[in-house]
Amino acid sequence: MALLEVEDLCIDYKTKNGYLKAVDGVSFSLERGASLGFVGESGCGKTTIGMGLMGMLPPNGVVRRGRILFEGEDLLRVSAEEMRRVRWRKIAMIFQAAMNALNPVQRVGEQVAEAMLVHNPSLGKEKALKAVEELFELVGLQTDRIRDYPHQYSGGMKQRAIIAMSLACRPSLIIADEPTTALDVIVQDQILAEIRALQKEFNIGIIFISHDISIVADMCHDIGIMYAGQLVEYGPREDVFDSPAHPYTRALLSSFPTLTGKRTDLVPIAGETPDLVHPPEGCRFYDRCQEQIPACREKVSRWVAISPGHKALCCRCEMDGR
Amino acid sequence: MELRRYILKRLVQITIIFFVILTVLFLLFRLAPGDPVSRMVDPDMTPEDAEQLIHQLGLDKPLGIQYLVYLKNFFTGHFGISFHYGEPVVDVIWNRLPNTILLFTTSIILSALVGIFLGKIASWHKGEKTDSVMTIGALVTHTLFLPWLALILIWVFGYKLGWFPINGMISEEVWLDPDAGFIAKGLDIGYHMILPLTTLFLIHFGAYLLIMRSSMLETLKEDYILTARAKGLEEKDIRDRHAAPNAALPVVTSVGLSLAFSINGGALTETVFTWPGIGRELVFSVSQNDYPLAQASFLLIAIVVLISNLVVDVLYAYLDPRIRY
Ligand SMILES: Nc1ncnc2c1ncn2[C@@H]1O[C@H](COP(=O)(O)OP(=O)(O)O)[C@@H](O)[C@H]1O
Ligand code: SF4
Ligand SMILES: [Mg+2]
Repeated sequence: MALLEVEDLCIDYKTKNGYLKAVDGVSFSLERGASLGFVGESGCGKTTIGMGLMGMLPPNGVVRRGRILFEGEDLLRVSAEEMRRVRWRKIAMIFQAAMNALNPVQRVGEQVAEAMLVHNPSLGKEKALKAVEELFELVGLQTDRIRDYPHQYSGGMKQRAIIAMSLACRPSLIIADEPTTALDVIVQDQILAEIRALQKEFNIGIIFISHDISIVADMCHDIGIMYAGQLVEYGPREDVFDSPAHPYTRALLSSFPTLTGKRTDLVPIAGETPDLVHPPEGCRFYDRCQEQIPACREKVSRWVAISPGHKALCCRCEMDGR
Repeated sequence: MELRRYILKRLVQITIIFFVILTVLFLLFRLAPGDPVSRMVDPDMTPEDAEQLIHQLGLDKPLGIQYLVYLKNFFTGHFGISFHYGEPVVDVIWNRLPNTILLFTTSIILSALVGIFLGKIASWHKGEKTDSVMTIGALVTHTLFLPWLALILIWVFGYKLGWFPINGMISEEVWLDPDAGFIAKGLDIGYHMILPLTTLFLIHFGAYLLIMRSSMLETLKEDYILTARAKGLEEKDIRDRHAAPNAALPVVTSVGLSLAFSINGGALTETVFTWPGIGRELVFSVSQNDYPLAQASFLLIAIVVLISNLVVDVLYAYLDPRIRY
């Protein structure tokens, strides 16, 4: 059984103009210990998926449809209290480093310990702090910094502390939402290496979210390309990179001349993303697509299998049979 | 430790501010139009006594020397003789100081604590009835005219219902009773303090409530709140352990800032309730042209405010490690 199986997930935000379809019909699955990366421009719905999985959508967010089978249980059907106990114990989340994800008036070590104590109060504070020491060693933080406050840490150290915290309850899934976006390149590489090593060591499933396709290429077995709330291409890393099928994926990749070489930032593709309150009937990438044909506009795109496990949501793939 | 350096820095600042106040007050009383001697020396004194006082206050010397004498007198506690009481000013005021500190600090601590607590509750129930009632209540009480509020309280609870005493700080029968112990006397003061305290509390807590409420709502949008929620904390703990300690910081700041502005209300309240404090003495001395007493009252109130400010700053540093470390 897969660790996580998401079927036809649709998440809307209630806005004054109507329902904004931030995530529309997204399906994917993740095996135990495997890693899946979501890539796409800002605003395509990556964070919304993460928050949806955590059951932490903002008050105006609603799951319109879908199933989130996690360890065989549909998380959309469990009570709020049960969901609270799934959080961090089973699914942890690493947020963007730029965000002040640590409480500024509490000691870092205590915040890490708190994650354990919430789900296992009988552990006791003393033992929890002992366990924090081990976690600090694990992620390469000096244990004498346990009693420091967040502002005494550098950006990289804060992110290491959060990684330590994410491991506190030995979860089976970690969602990492742009965990290195605010860090400089050297620190970013160290943190990514750290996450990869720990994932292997503890056999944790990872969902890695980034707007930077090169990072996802380094990190993940499977890749999902997202555009305007939809998954538009999905498959094993090698397939997606070696034979990208969707025009959007190709546009993304061409903005990175050599994936193994120097890392450049995503060059935005000309044009704007469609209005998500009234998304177009046909292909959502139509206005910006270099390969559009009139049919793309009317026909609702269907998934086309490219090779086993590799598929794309595009009319032309359907017709060209590529 | 950093905290010690921080306090030291604040102490130096406060000392400077205090010297500025001291100097301004000196200039105000000596350079104002009219004869400074007639302002500092009671016209009813015998010529010999007046002569001695003029000499003690340095009024027969040039201004620069006068200033030095003034400083020396201040640090040795010589503020001149009150016109009205005919006693050394320092004796008059020294007895009033604890009474003012008692009423002032109690009212500030009470209104800050209650304001923080109610503001937190209002923010939980944002948009609901509880929130509207609290917010409107806070706005209304905050904008009330203090003397009017005091008189209403006196009329309703003192006069109509007769629940609380409406003037003074103690009842003779308790304090003259040789059997009355420490507790009985303390309770008696507390009993007298209820109406003046309620007045000051009602005027002040609303602002703290409103600040805490909006600060809570802002804090709940912070990223570390997301982390806390992702960690699986219950909403109650997210608010109490993560949001509230951060949200209370602006309230503490505003307590510090509002200290100086609460002098007016404090003096008025003391006057209306004949609370034997420095504020009342200040109002009284000004209306009686008792300059020596007025000058000393000003100074003492300034000291009280500055020291309270220091206490608030230290408290802030204690609550916010970003200042301490
Ligand atoms: N609370 C919200 N209310 C309304 N719209 C939102 C809200 N949060 C996000 N959105 C919108 O939903 C879309 C997806 O956002 P998000 O999931 O944050 O994208 P990403 O993480 O890929 O940048 C965007 O168009 C964004 O404007
Ligand atoms: S469906 Fe048509 S417009 Fe859309 S991506 Fe494919 S080719 Fe381009
Ligand atoms: Mg995002």
